[in-house]
Amino acid sequence: MLRIRLGQEIDKGSFLIFLLIMAFLSAFLIYPIIYVFVNSFFIGGNISLYYFESMIQDPLYRESIVNSLTIGLTATVLTSLISIPLAFLMVRYDFPLKRLVQGLLLVPLVMPPFVGAIGMVQLFARYGAVNILLMNLKLISRPIDWFGGGFWGVVLLEALHLYPYLYLNVAAALSNIDPTLEEQAECLGSSGFRLFRTITFPLVLPGYFAGAIIVFIWSFTDLGTPLIFNYRKVVPVTIFSMVRDIWQNPMGYAFTVMTLFISVASIVIARRYIGSKTYEMMSRGHFTPRISRLRRWKIVLAYIFLGTLILAALTPQISVVLISFAEQWFFSPLPQSWTTRFYETVATHPLTVGSIRNSLFYSLSSTAIDIVLGLVIAYLLARKRVPGKDVLDSTVMLPLALPGIVLAFGYVTGFSGTILDPFIDPTVLLIVSYAVRRLPYSVRAAYAGFQQTSVSLEEASLSVGASPIRTIIKITFPLILANVIAGGIMSFSAGMMEVSDSLILAMKDQFFPITKTIYELDLRLGDGPYVASALGIVGTIIVSACILVANRLLGRSMGELFRA
Amino acid sequence: MVAVELSHITKTFGKTTAAKDVSFQVRQGELFFLLGPSGCGKTTILRIIAGFYKPDEGKVFFDGREMNSVPTHKRNVGMVFQNYALWPHMTVYDNIVYGLKVRHEPASECVRKAKEVLRVMRMEELALRYPNQLSGGQQQRVALARALVIEPNVLLLDEPLSNLDAKLRLEMRGEIKRIQRELRITSIYVTHDQEEALSMADRMAIMNFGRIEQIGSPMELYNNPGNKFVAGFVGETNFISGVIEDCALPDGHCLVRLSPKLKIRAKKEKSLGEGQHVVCSIRPEMIQIHDRAPVEKSNTFGARILSLEYYGTVEHYSLEVENGFVVKATRYSPRLHERKPGDLIYFSFHPEDVKLFPE
Repeated sequence: MLRIRLGQEIDKGSFLIFLLIMAFLSAFLIYPIIYVFVNSFFIGGNISLYYFESMIQDPLYRESIVNSLTIGLTATVLTSLISIPLAFLMVRYDFPLKRLVQGLLLVPLVMPPFVGAIGMVQLFARYGAVNILLMNLKLISRPIDWFGGGFWGVVLLEALHLYPYLYLNVAAALSNIDPTLEEQAECLGSSGFRLFRTITFPLVLPGYFAGAIIVFIWSFTDLGTPLIFNYRKVVPVTIFSMVRDIWQNPMGYAFTVMTLFISVASIVIARRYIGSKTYEMMSRGHFTPRISRLRRWKIVLAYIFLGTLILAALTPQISVVLISFAEQWFFSPLPQSWTTRFYETVATHPLTVGSIRNSLFYSLSSTAIDIVLGLVIAYLLARKRVPGKDVLDSTVMLPLALPGIVLAFGYVTGFSGTILDPFIDPTVLLIVSYAVRRLPYSVRAAYAGFQQTSVSLEEASLSVGASPIRTIIKITFPLILANVIAGGIMSFSAGMMEVSDSLILAMKDQFFPITKTIYELDLRLGDGPYVASALGIVGTIIVSACILVANRLLGRSMGELFRA
Repeated sequence: MVAVELSHITKTFGKTTAAKDVSFQVRQGELFFLLGPSGCGKTTILRIIAGFYKPDEGKVFFDGREMNSVPTHKRNVGMVFQNYALWPHMTVYDNIVYGLKVRHEPASECVRKAKEVLRVMRMEELALRYPNQLSGGQQQRVALARALVIEPNVLLLDEPLSNLDAKLRLEMRGEIKRIQRELRITSIYVTHDQEEALSMADRMAIMNFGRIEQIGSPMELYNNPGNKFVAGFVGETNFISGVIEDCALPDGHCLVRLSPKLKIRAKKEKSLGEGQHVVCSIRPEMIQIHDRAPVEKSNTFGARILSLEYYGTVEHYSLEVENGFVVKATRYSPRLHERKPGDLIYFSFHPEDVKLFPE
């Protein structure tokens, strides 16, 4: 009875809110996509596949599509080769320093790969530190092309940045396996690799696919990294360079639609597969996972694997730190002298100071939007019967399948000439784009909170005479606060280091967020890369601090935050 | 089918001792129960037999062959887990033939044996279902079938019925017993449900705090509990503290003083002498209830009915002898009567039904 009362009293209100939210999502999520779609299929008012035909026929365009797909697949394979054994090692074995290793493994999450790319270029470029060192040692006479023309550089950077996502997903799936399932197989005579192949791996597969799809889409659509490597024949860079002259050359629309199609298609395929293979573990309550201690030579092997991985994963970061403190690092294996000059520049130069201020403002605003919208939408979804709820649910989750570059492209083309024209002032669009991209996560976080909070707690409040609104504010919100804060902090740190929207939407110096400034600085000769590195480190520190705070506040592990 | 022997098994986890000097033998084809409260170490013993844990001390023998260094997958044990541990990514049929495939049995044998075991379990039509499409009872049968199809040396069952509802549990008790008898397979069954153990076991071991308290047939354990714990754990009983006053009554019983006014006659226990503090154990069903004072005066007491629960086939009384001194009594097939709480009645019991244990 009480539940119905709570429902009835604000149902009109919630329907109104539902309409407002749908209006917002239509304007900033549906409209730009439709705009891009329409422009890619219509030429002078007629439906035509002309752009798509020339996209496939033109060898240059075709090459960039092939390159991007190859990058996505290769990075996914490489990441899998790292993450599956890694997850198995970390979940199933105990060894000294395991906690430290767990922390170090997640460090790559806090720095966007394109900042790391600056460091990698310094180390491995034609006349970078490594080649100079090898030539000084007379080991090689001519510089080695470590990046394979940029392709392997991008793949490596993506893999080193993205392996934690896959590792966390596989590890979660692995520790979710009821140990009796494996013990049973042992009783029946199975062991070793056979046991892994027939029981363990099939049960981990759904988790693996969930992570692998993130890796594929991210590396397929990442804009920043190929830009820094100056590896321009890939889809995201092609779209990026087509934004500005979209009115002369509408090919950008077709590329964007194609990117969206590949991303959505791969998610649908993966979901279908995962959906058919996801198993509810039938056991009840808690179980202790099978953990054994590593011994003797196996521990050495584990340390070699982990050491190599962590060293490789931290190389870009370490290198960026070195650059930021280097007075000069040119034609030498290591910087000749050190300075804090570039941090002073970051702290005083109008461009860098302005970009930090911009990023803080954009991210805080988008976080505020995410928290409010996340709470309200999750409340509607979890507690209300509103007509069209399913539509709201799927619309809100849409950005999960929407690469940043697609949304940014839609914003630039769809809103130019309006009051929100990003060529004039991109502030609103930047804030909204950050918010929309993170919205699924904050809705999920709040939704999980609502689901864990029993309705009877609200009903108890109503029964002692509190009004529905008072109940929500005094009972419901405090109970789900932890989830919401975690979601908010993650939105904020994602905004601080967001790449595609920032690079595409911010076109004038005074609106640059941190990432765009890093990119612009890196292009400048002279001390550009040094200041860019220093700024990258400052941004990374802000993001790390946020995550540590979220950690402390919630007493949750960093891994859990990134899986949320 | 083998005989299983455990000799002086000790296992500790950190500071807790899960098993302390546990020894017992299970004969070929026997259905042997490990019964004890939760946390008593019975599952640890089962897992040591399966080979999941290595004992800190002691040895496990199958037919006299030491198994300590044999890993689980070479022991040929069939195990049924409490949660059934059915592989969710395989059909019933695939679950069942898994063990056969591991043993590289020819495909035709796999099919034949799987069909046979499905027939014995009466679930041929479920072969192609996935575990999550089965009811709890069906899952239970699949788990059993999967363990049996490999013709194991020994069948281990870890609280296999605890996840089933009461009615199904009764049905499966009979089913497991029937199959075990039919196949004459050595089985070790862990449970905390004493009814399950009493009704199914050939022999059983009572465990508490990692130790074996007593081993015997259900009837032996119920009628001759070796100590206070066994008396209290197997079946219901009244525990009453007292002091032995006289060990040499003319009728061969001994006299126990419960309070300054109350004395009872009990079965003589050789090891217990005069002045010894003891606990008397009297089963509720051994207590007779009389509306009028009976002729026989020894071990007869007046009491007031505190409460009375009527179940049709049985009736439970709570009787207060004097202030705070309460005795439970059970009467089977109660006839029509008009007793109600507050009534004064008499109850009595035979001295042979009073077991004494040192306090």
